[in-house]
This record gives sequence, C-alpha cells and structure tokens, in this order.
Amino acid sequence: MTCERFEELLSAYLEGELAAAERGGMDAHLAACPGCAELAGLMRETLAASSAFPEAEPSPALMSRLYAIPEERAAIKRLFRPVFDWLARPALQPVYATLTGLFIVLSFVLFHPEGRGIRKQFDVQFHRGLGAVEKLYADAGGLKGEVKALSANVVRSFDTLGLLGGDENKK
Amino acid sequence: MDLEATIRDCLDGSQSAWKALVDAYARRVFSMAYQFCGSREEAEDRTQEVFLKLHGALPKYDFGKNFTAWFLTLAKNHLIDEYRRTKWEKTQRDEFDERVLSQAAGSGPEENLVAKETKALVWEGLDRLSADMRMVIILRDLQGQSYEEVAATLGLPLGTVKSRVNRARIQLAQVLKEQRGDLQ
Repeated sequence: MTCERFEELLSAYLEGELAAAERGGMDAHLAACPGCAELAGLMRETLAASSAFPEAEPSPALMSRLYAIPEERAAIKRLFRPVFDWLARPALQPVYATLTGLFIVLSFVLFHPEGRGIRKQFDVQFHRGLGAVEKLYADAGGLKGEVKALSANVVRSFDTLGLLGGDENKK
Repeated sequence: MDLEATIRDCLDGSQSAWKALVDAYARRVFSMAYQFCGSREEAEDRTQEVFLKLHGALPKYDFGKNFTAWFLTLAKNHLIDEYRRTKWEKTQRDEFDERVLSQAAGSGPEENLVAKETKALVWEGLDRLSADMRMVIILRDLQGQSYEEVAATLGLPLGTVKSRVNRARIQLAQVLKEQRGDLQ
C-alpha cells in the first residue's frame, strides 16, 4: 500500500468502516511507515478533541432579537409599503421594460471590454448611414428633374396626337 | 414539535410558532456560526442574519423537502458567503474559552492537560483551513452530523463528502503538527 492510498483511507480506517482485507493492509502500512503512523496519531487526537466541543449557548439578548424578527420585518414593511405599492403599479411596467432595454444597450457600449471599438464602429456606421442618406437625397433631386422632363414629353405627345382633345397641328 | 404545522403557523403570522422555531434551531445555528467564525460577537450577528433570511425565505420553502437540511444549507451558504466577502477584515478567533466550549460531559477534571491543549490548538487551527474544509469539519466532527446529513446540508454526493472530510482532517492534523512545532 502506498502512503497516498493510506491517506485516502485514513478516516474510514479510524472510523472502523473498512473491510477486513483493507484494514489488514492499513495495519501493515502503519507498522512500516513512521510518517503515516504520525499522521494517523495526529488525526486520532484531532478527532477526539473535535468530538468534545459542545454546542455554544446563544445569549438571552440574541434570543430576544431572534424572537422579534417578525415584528421588525412587519414594521419595515408597513413603513415602505406605500412606496413599493406606487412603484409596483402595472402602469409603470412599460417604463421599466424600456429602461431595462436602454440600460442593457448602454452597458454593452459603456462596460464592454471592447467598448471603445464598439463606439468607434458605431460612429463609422452612423456617418456612413448619414452619407448614404445625403446621396439618396441628391439622387432624388436629379430624379425629380428627369420625372418632370418625362411628364412634359408625355403631355406634349398627347397634345400632338390629339388624344384627350388635343390638336395634332399644334406645335 | 410538528415541524410542518409550526412552519405553516409561521407563514400565517403566528408569533408563538416563530418562537418555537427559533427555540428549536437557534442553539444549533449559533454553535455552527461560532465554530465557523471563531468570535462570539460575529457569530451573534451572523445568527441574526441567518434567521432574518429564514423569515424571508420561509414562503418559498418546499414542504416536500427536509426542513433541517434546507435551513442548515441556508445557514452554511450565508456563513461562507459572508466569510468570503469580509475575509480581509477578519481578526483572530476568540481565545479558546474553557467555560464556553468545555462544559460538555466527558470534559471534567479527569481530562488531561494534553487533551485540553489539543482542543485549544484545534480551535485555533480551524482558522487556517479554507471555508469549505472548515465547514465540513464543523458539521461532521464538531457537530457530530452523519455523513448523510452533511451531504444533505452541503448538497454534495456522499462520496465527495467523505473524501472532503478526510482531506480536511488531514489538513487539520498537519496544522496541529505545525502548531506544536511553533510552541516548542
């Protein structure tokens, strides 16, 4: 038996929980290994000392404080109940939900280890988006001119063909 | 005491039922806190906090579970959490007090000096174990719980508890050896 195995089984050995074969192995190791014999002796002593610790008695002052716990909690509840009731109104639930969502998003930006990168990325994306909107707006201006010219052409064609009461000789 | 009925009465707001519950568990929880913290003053604070927690958690108690194991788990968790939270503010354990800790049967005048000294060293040595190791020693050896009860309180498998108790005892034995070396 190794010293490691002896240590693993030491408590069970001292508590008399080992089978005969293992107990025999422990006895043999105990006789041959002074280090393990010393450890077993020390553990025997600590076990004897530990088992002699009685329960400590709580003081009467502590017992009074323990008895008074329900009354104290009830008094605190009475004091704060109006505030809690106001805060727990169902009408405030959407506000709490919105605030929670905002805080989650904010915490990602502010407290994330890569927060600086996220903020930078946000700025880049924001300005990119702004640029795209400006470009769209400029394109829309050009498109407006094209639509105007097209509509003038269509009106002129109708006039030329005499459809819808137009004059085909009119130029 | 019909524990289930007492708990139901507590939930209905009965003061006498709460008093009965305190009477049944205060000594055990205070002992556990005192042995764990090592200071009477701190143990009183922790015991009060544990019972405050119990009062708040009682409506959530599942009547299908073992109340003692459930409550002791709550107490154990609170003690370890508080210990870890305030670790750096800790002072030393109270001096080993013969009057408080050695009044049990079997510790009369016939007890020899070496055994008394060992008891004092074990008391001081508890402080040198980690919170988890100290707790298993307290539950199993100082409070005399069975391995099954310790497993229920810690919420661990029986085999894990047995091996943890063994490791904690070995550590305590080594602490005892070191302390004796320091004394010489």
